[in-house]
Amino acid sequence: MKWLLVAFWSVVILSVALLIAAYMIWWERKFAGRMQRRIGPYWVGYPHGWLQSIADAIKILRKEDIIPKNADKWVYNIAPFLFMVPPMFLFAVFPFSKTWVVADLNVGLLYVLAVSSLGVFGVMMAGWGSHNKYALLSAMRYVSQMISYEVPLVLSALVPVVLTGSMNLGAITNAQKGLWFALWPVVGWVAFVVFLLATLAEGNRAPFDIPEAESELIGGFAVEYSGWKFAMFYVGEYVHLLAVSILASVLFLGGWRGPLLPPLLWLFIKTVFMYSVLLWIRWSFVRLRVDQLMVFNWKVLVPVSVVDLLLAALWVVLR
Amino acid sequence: MGIVKETLDSLVITLKNLARKPVTVQYPRERRTMPERFRGVFALTTNPETGEENCIGCRLCQNICPSQIITVIPEKREKRSYAKDFTLDMNACIFCGLCVQVCPTDAIVMVRANDEVGYSREDLFLTKEKLLANEKKYQDLISPMTGSVLRNMQTPPRPAPRPRPKPQPKPEEKKE
Amino acid sequence: MATRTLEFTFDEMRVNMGPQHPSTHGVFRGVLVLEGEEIKDLIPHIGYLHRGVEKLAEHLSYVQDVPIMARNDYLGPVHNELVMAHAVEKLANIQVPERAQYLRVMASELHRIASHLVWTGTFLLDMGGALGGGSTMFLYLFQARESIMDLYEEWTGARFHPNLVQIGGVRFDLPAGFDRKVKEALQTVRNTVNEVREMVEGNPVFEQRTRGVGVLSPELAQSIGCSGPVLRASGVAYDVRKAFPYDAYDKMDFEIVTATAGDVRARYEVRINEIFQAAHIVQQALEGLPEGPIGAKPPVKAPVAVKAPKGEVYFRVESARGELGAYLVSDGSHKPYRLKLRSPSFSNLQAIQHLVRGHKVADVVVILGSLDPVFGDVDR
Repeated sequence: MKWLLVAFWSVVILSVALLIAAYMIWWERKFAGRMQRRIGPYWVGYPHGWLQSIADAIKILRKEDIIPKNADKWVYNIAPFLFMVPPMFLFAVFPFSKTWVVADLNVGLLYVLAVSSLGVFGVMMAGWGSHNKYALLSAMRYVSQMISYEVPLVLSALVPVVLTGSMNLGAITNAQKGLWFALWPVVGWVAFVVFLLATLAEGNRAPFDIPEAESELIGGFAVEYSGWKFAMFYVGEYVHLLAVSILASVLFLGGWRGPLLPPLLWLFIKTVFMYSVLLWIRWSFVRLRVDQLMVFNWKVLVPVSVVDLLLAALWVVLR
Repeated sequence: MGIVKETLDSLVITLKNLARKPVTVQYPRERRTMPERFRGVFALTTNPETGEENCIGCRLCQNICPSQIITVIPEKREKRSYAKDFTLDMNACIFCGLCVQVCPTDAIVMVRANDEVGYSREDLFLTKEKLLANEKKYQDLISPMTGSVLRNMQTPPRPAPRPRPKPQPKPEEKKE
Repeated sequence: MATRTLEFTFDEMRVNMGPQHPSTHGVFRGVLVLEGEEIKDLIPHIGYLHRGVEKLAEHLSYVQDVPIMARNDYLGPVHNELVMAHAVEKLANIQVPERAQYLRVMASELHRIASHLVWTGTFLLDMGGALGGGSTMFLYLFQARESIMDLYEEWTGARFHPNLVQIGGVRFDLPAGFDRKVKEALQTVRNTVNEVREMVEGNPVFEQRTRGVGVLSPELAQSIGCSGPVLRASGVAYDVRKAFPYDAYDKMDFEIVTATAGDVRARYEVRINEIFQAAHIVQQALEGLPEGPIGAKPPVKAPVAVKAPKGEVYFRVESARGELGAYLVSDGSHKPYRLKLRSPSFSNLQAIQHLVRGHKVADVVVILGSLDPVFGDVDR
């Protein structure tokens, strides 16, 4: 009977994740709007446009699905799924409270890192299958960016693992009973900042949104997609963001732990906070160039995260 | 450390602006008041006392229009001339206001409204009836910058820093 | 043991950038010859916005040409009106009254501010993307520009194409209480520009994207006829307002803003400093504004009101983009026999091919943006 329960919770979590993704889009619009001294969506779902994302979803799903004449149809059609589905797998291992976790893997973090890097295939296939030079350029940029930024992401995510001694996300949460890892002097701070920056790059967000780069490459790998396939790319990005926001809260902000309020609410608050920080950074900076992005990764982030990991290991040994 | 501070500067400013009031004007529900001189839709005026049209069909506006969208067909009646037909094609109007400036009887004026819209090109093709109706329609919004005011402004009678609209000349004076 | 050398050969890829592309500022089409991300060459194509204004001008009278000209460089319409009016005035020997000269200076400097604000905004937008920080700064700057547009609306009745200049003077005097509004608007502009400067200047991302990118040497700039901020950023202190003063510019106290680096960053710096200079000039013009008539001739009644004697004339003004010239040939009637516009955007745009070689794809939009072409002005 256990598999039935797992299936039930999977469906619940996935539907909730999709709904949350829709409201993340809404929150981003409102947040960016206010930051730019605009209002943002307002009249669809008066007041404050709380139905805007739903309306947009209905609109985009009804749009014509265009397949370019010279596209590699198989690859073209399957790419959106490969982009959107992997981030959804991630929710299986997140601890939403002490007992609420779909699959309590003891290598949870490894699973998360492995699955989240699967999205690269979807992008590469989209870029190749579209038969479009811009899409191909963008896909190549995306792949090189993903592979490069995986390194500091993993290295900084390993800091909590080293400090905890476990790869189980629940155990990592429990280890932050006293002090969140993000607040640990130096070791935690550095790991948190590096993780945040690598997350931005992995999530393809400004100032690291080189693959999308609508002012250079018009929109990147999804340029030929329309209708529900484009929607899958769009939502996939937000599901990914949601997943990494939760992951950051779990790894560095103590997950569901917190006084008074119920655990789920604590996790929600922390996730929203993390997401807002990502948005804040996104709407405040201009974009890097692709070579500068690589330089920043290999010459700054990777050495810093390696040193930080060594420091964390040293601390554990000497304790 | 300088780099870190410079980087954080942008974050501080966006956060500062987050707290400021939005500048959005919710257009159809909220409207800005247009300034006095706003150049918008056209109207043909009538004499408020006699109700006669001010237009004498002199065709000055037709000649000056850079887009050549005004067509006037003059008609001679017993006392003075009239415009038998007066059409203005808003589809090609560049809102330069030269027609208003040259009008000797202040007949064609501009209205402080910019939201004259239509579903077809014919809707924006202003016939004489529409132009005359615009005077009633936009009663309070008619721009005070009529031809005579503009001309007075360009060669002001000293000392007059800011000319006021003069009473409109009686059409009867033109004749005889 | 023989050493083996690895040889990589790249296929060149041709990417068609534009005419429908979000950051080609309208309808520029450049065929990029790429080797990976690196640009080997750029083949520019223009003419997508050609409307035949020069020919149109031959069919309209001088009076009607003035408002039509404003449609060329739609970010600084007054400069275009000015150059047309000035050319006719020079040919017909019409003296513009002093008050009108001051008002013309004020109007053109206000439009210079507005144009540079748009430029800074779109430049950052190109760099930061519509879905990123660039759009934030873009919107801040547009809000500042809106205050200038409001001034124009108050003064002339139109936000964008004011049709302010007419042959022999200006059409509109200042409304009551205008100087206070001008001061407020200039303060808004200064505050916003300072805020945006704080956001971008010194920011490592911005500095890396702009420093040393698209360096234009002064020799090259002069040989291809660049002017305006593009030329001044290369260290050549040439400004029509100083070199060939028109209107009341000889009475104004201002400096030619120059920078020496010649890169994108220098062009940014020159334009930002010019905003402050222009605000300074507007204030001087406002303070020194003499009383008197604003038109030399009686108000225009008909298109034939202005006639120019037989002859030809070249007049130049400093538009926001550089030297804007009008070469006018008259046959003695009320219409130009031939009008040739020397547009700064066109001359400046020619530098693009020299500037982008060896740079990355992402730099194309930044370099193209830094030249500030307005395609209505390029194609006319």
